[in-house]
Amino acid sequence: MNNNRRLKQAEPYLWMLPSILLMAVMIVIPIITVFRLSMSEISRANIVKGFNNFENFKEVLSSPTFWHTLQNTLVWTVVVVGFSTIIGFVLALVLNQNFRGRKFVRAVVVFPWATSLIIQSVIWKYIISADYGSLNVILKKLGLIDSFVNWTNSAAAFFAWECWVGVFVTIPFVTFCVLSGLQSIDTSYYEAAEMDGATFWHRLFKITLPLVRPSLTVSTVLNIIYVFNSFPIIWTISKGDPADKTHTLVTYLYKLSFYSGKSGQAAAVSVIGFIILSICAGIYMVLSLKGEEADQ
Amino acid sequence: MNKKRTPWQQTLLYLFVFIVCIVILYPYFVMFTTAAKTDAEMYAANMTILPQQWQWSNFLGIWSAAPVFKYFLNSLIVSGGATFLAILCGIPAAYAMARMRFKGKTFFLGAVIVSQMFSPVVLLVGIYKLMVSMHLSNSLVGLILLNAAFNQAFAIWLLRGTFLTISAEMEQAAMIDGCGTVQALIRVVLPMAAPGIITTLIFVFINSWNEYTIALTLIQDDLLKPITVGINVFYGYNFIQWQYLFATSLFATIPVIVLFLCIEKHLVAGLTAGGVKG
Repeated sequence: MNNNRRLKQAEPYLWMLPSILLMAVMIVIPIITVFRLSMSEISRANIVKGFNNFENFKEVLSSPTFWHTLQNTLVWTVVVVGFSTIIGFVLALVLNQNFRGRKFVRAVVVFPWATSLIIQSVIWKYIISADYGSLNVILKKLGLIDSFVNWTNSAAAFFAWECWVGVFVTIPFVTFCVLSGLQSIDTSYYEAAEMDGATFWHRLFKITLPLVRPSLTVSTVLNIIYVFNSFPIIWTISKGDPADKTHTLVTYLYKLSFYSGKSGQAAAVSVIGFIILSICAGIYMVLSLKGEEADQ
Repeated sequence: MNKKRTPWQQTLLYLFVFIVCIVILYPYFVMFTTAAKTDAEMYAANMTILPQQWQWSNFLGIWSAAPVFKYFLNSLIVSGGATFLAILCGIPAAYAMARMRFKGKTFFLGAVIVSQMFSPVVLLVGIYKLMVSMHLSNSLVGLILLNAAFNQAFAIWLLRGTFLTISAEMEQAAMIDGCGTVQALIRVVLPMAAPGIITTLIFVFINSWNEYTIALTLIQDDLLKPITVGINVFYGYNFIQWQYLFATSLFATIPVIVLFLCIEKHLVAGLTAGGVKG
């Protein structure tokens, strides 16, 4: 009897065992490894030599490239998430209207979400290329420019284009999250507001926004994490160049590790990114578990 | 919000929608038209928007110009394997989290949420070390395991959401009739959860199909590359075969868009419900 009860108690954990095992090996071990490497001296031949008194962190933190990269990462995350949230929200409001061709437009908006980031990055790299890029060709045919423009003549220009591609690929996720929130709003709210003579802005700020706030929170928090971690766009379009001026943390650590052979410093950058993400994760967890409690 | 719009608003709405469509479809238009251009036209001084001469043979040419078929096959193996594994591990975990009461449930739910925060890129240095030590660094098995693991969170999330919408009464009835929990799950719950499971399957499949960074880092052997990494063969240091690159990209993209369109409605509802309500 006692054995039976113990089995019963262990049952839920047994059900979760395969999943836990998979995540423990593939995610938790790399996390531990990254922390260990970040505090170790690593030879050029990739041999781990033991604790080196946070030397990797000191070197990373004393490098101007790191601080520039950190600043880029912040700009990149805020700009991409900010713009895509605003545009995605407006697009969702429009798609929530009844109009002819709505289904078609909805399908079109799915496209960037379903397409691999690497493929989108390559297309945009081609589009903005100075010598044969499609943007130059179209603008010239339209008579808007006389000769081909070099769209990426500076690090800032590169970075601006990368932000644009980031916004472009992130909009659909926001749109669909908001849209699912909008569709669950009871239309009687609007009818009541109508009777009271509420203006468009009133309805937007007093009804729509508060009611889609949960969806908007999810999409914003998830997007902060995705965008922060986004690698292919910057790696494909500029590889962090010119002069390492367009890196974000993830491309920087990739270059440190797999191009410059500085695994220790790369691991230190990982840990710093990890800490920043943990703060975001903590906020998200508090928010969603709060929702969980409210729901029960 | 179905009240009549003024002609002004009507025009504005269509104008906005029109611009959105043009901007979104523009890269796909470029991809398609460039894929059908000839080599000579690609770098010609007098470039045109549409190909002067539509070279449809490019869409056949890619298959012999590089081991593109092998890349697609590798992508299919990795995505298929990862999807299978993610679902196989995800279903029991999601079921336990939806139906059973146990100590640490909130902790596990939290851990699932947190694990979806960490993209492989941040952990790449550690992942690389782990894979080398397991002798999986240059293998499709390694990619399958990693894709399955990094999609666990979403899989559990979506599946748990689906299970929660199914009433527990049916299973209880089945269990009274003598079914064990496992049998009740397989015979009663899974058929009812089919739409949610299919959505999860497709979503994990697409995520793995589109994955780039891990494969780029781990796979050295050309014949083991999935398509996202493989297309780089057309992207040489001094010579880029844009037409082949884009023709291949189209093949890699269109099926995924079609799949995505099939699940979009379920997926969005599942994602936000999972995120908001848990």
